[in-house]
Amino acid sequence: MTAEPADVLIIGAGASGGVVALRLAQAGFKVVCLEQGEWLDRADYPGDKLDWELKSRKDWATSPNVRGLVQDYPIVEDDSPVSPLMYNAVGGSTIIFAGAWPRALPSDFRVRSLDGVADDWPIDYFDLLPYFYRTDRQFGVSGLPGDPAYPPDTEDAPMPPLPIGSAGLKVARAQTKLGWHWWPEFNSINSTPYDGRRQCVQRSTCQSGCNEGAKASTDLTHWPKAVALGARLVTGARVRRIETDASGLATGATWIDRDGTEHFEAARVVILAANAIGTPRLLLLSSSPNHPDGLANSSGLVGKRLMMHPFANVGGLFEEPLMSWQGQFGDLIESLEFYETDEKRGFVRGARWGLAPTGGPINTALPSRAGEQVWGADHHGHVRAHLGHGANWGLFAEDLPDEANHITLSTTVADTSGIAAPEIHYRMSDNSRRMLDFHIERAKESLDAAGAYKIEVDRLMRYSGWHLLGTARMGDDPAVSVVDRWNRAHDVPNLYVVDGSCFVTSSGVNPTSTIVAIALRAADHMIETRFEQRVPV
Amino acid sequence: MSAVAADPLASLDAGERANLSAIADRLIPAAHGMPSAADVLGDDRLRFVLNARPDLVEPLRVALRSEHGGDVAARLDILGRDDPAALGALQLVVVAGYYTDGRVRELIEYPGQVAIEIRSWEYPAYLEEGLIDAVMARGPTWRDPTTGERAVIPDAPRTYEERWSTDAGSPEGGPDGNDRA
Repeated sequence: MTAEPADVLIIGAGASGGVVALRLAQAGFKVVCLEQGEWLDRADYPGDKLDWELKSRKDWATSPNVRGLVQDYPIVEDDSPVSPLMYNAVGGSTIIFAGAWPRALPSDFRVRSLDGVADDWPIDYFDLLPYFYRTDRQFGVSGLPGDPAYPPDTEDAPMPPLPIGSAGLKVARAQTKLGWHWWPEFNSINSTPYDGRRQCVQRSTCQSGCNEGAKASTDLTHWPKAVALGARLVTGARVRRIETDASGLATGATWIDRDGTEHFEAARVVILAANAIGTPRLLLLSSSPNHPDGLANSSGLVGKRLMMHPFANVGGLFEEPLMSWQGQFGDLIESLEFYETDEKRGFVRGARWGLAPTGGPINTALPSRAGEQVWGADHHGHVRAHLGHGANWGLFAEDLPDEANHITLSTTVADTSGIAAPEIHYRMSDNSRRMLDFHIERAKESLDAAGAYKIEVDRLMRYSGWHLLGTARMGDDPAVSVVDRWNRAHDVPNLYVVDGSCFVTSSGVNPTSTIVAIALRAADHMIETRFEQRVPV
Repeated sequence: MSAVAADPLASLDAGERANLSAIADRLIPAAHGMPSAADVLGDDRLRFVLNARPDLVEPLRVALRSEHGGDVAARLDILGRDDPAALGALQLVVVAGYYTDGRVRELIEYPGQVAIEIRSWEYPAYLEEGLIDAVMARGPTWRDPTTGERAVIPDAPRTYEERWSTDAGSPEGGPDGNDRA
């Protein structure tokens, strides 16, 4: 603890927190970050070890409820068919994300204007484009330039594309035969040595941490640089609430260390970067007589409009060996063929497809995605037919915002520090169901065209809540939004939300690329307006 | 418990081990040139699994307790109906012990998740085969938010070679995000 308040206090050392910390530290801000997890040593990651598939189902599971580690908080999810996924450590969920790096598309920011549903964003794709280029360089992105599904770029990805593998090539040929879009996926995974990090070795264990450091995670890409510039990163620090003064300005945060001791970290500006579950949880926990419904919640929208991208998996089996247990788990290829609205399909908006590797033999015998268990003498034929012979289309459906999908504070469940757990209430909409059904049928056609002799479908995967969005939405009107176009809370002028909570609509693509571009834009604005920033006296 | 940490096998009695062996043989029997899981799941493999996943010890013991009787099929049915978590732990122990065995991996021709060198300088087959050109030949597919229609860019490159000759190029800045800001 220091006597002098920090210029900025960031809560959460994940993707957006890392980006903002580095940018502000570069600009000379005195940065402090509170992170409930710890620094990890990638030598401990299980991906290059024999017990990888065992550990990835417990200590390295993507669900905090499955892991149950001391740095995790429980999430009450009985009222949801989808489980939120995240990781708590320096680097946050970038430690376990796949690394797929598509950008939201131009139409994603104009959903109301174009399709008459949800809301438009106050910013657009072209506002973010310069930030996409900068964050692509920061994280290290591999990709093939020229994808006609996006507006032309003036800057290419820093590295050439990763291999698409035998499965990717087979399905790419089928997509071409069908006249459907496909493209080698952009991934924040090094295809060449980059920025002091090694290149990918195709081990396909990206979601259990990257042993090579080839996949971008902010514990590698941002925090060491931010710390070298003077940022102070406090780990094992679980924030209980954000404090405010009589004038309504944030003054810092109360937090609890691993021993249960309470601390206060004073700051002139507070920045929330704790994901779209953790951020509204903290805002709701920070209620007071002056704001009894939670901090920054005069709109009543804190915790509302949770979006998680309903996800289906369509897997094809092929006669020939494809060695499909290898390859980046950020996707091999993607398709945006059915991404844009066509109302003849019976729904609005669309879904992105990503083709992924299929896992090792334990996952083959006990599939976590589409597939079945086979026991007895036929078990051997089942494993031989599946292991290395599959290709999986993962389908991410755009989730439209709905205030009924929301987060509350549990009255019965708390974390190990005694802080109320978040409780999520979520239903997949009829629009999303029709969308997934349509896309499942098209994905089956793709795999059929590729020569699959058997196709297996998981119509809604429970453990698929990777993309947590929308619970403190951005907007120009304080009556119907939580933060403004620069991510500043309407109600609290020195409080910012820079994670995926700010999303107005969800898009249908993996959001990390867009989240960090928005975060960098917000940080630049904080720097530009630093002398006008209201701070507590 | 320290006993579990020291040797997880010590928590299983002879009856439970016998039940495990019978179940392993039922789930993955010797067939098609493959050994049975009962043959593979010796002390070393079982110890490996339970050391990696000590949380499995208790549900495994529940699944193996003698009250479920000696009929393996009936036991599996009861567990599936009344205690799916214990059944899941039992199946995972058997499968993990089996597929982390070197001989089994050799037989299924699975070397593990190995490190493979990327040759990023090689011209990809999809470019060679013209698959990217086919995508580009269709022109832009993104929806222009100002018109609501598919974007029209008259001079959009229609082949990868054309695209490569345009002005867009390698990034000029560094990776620290503080350039050209």
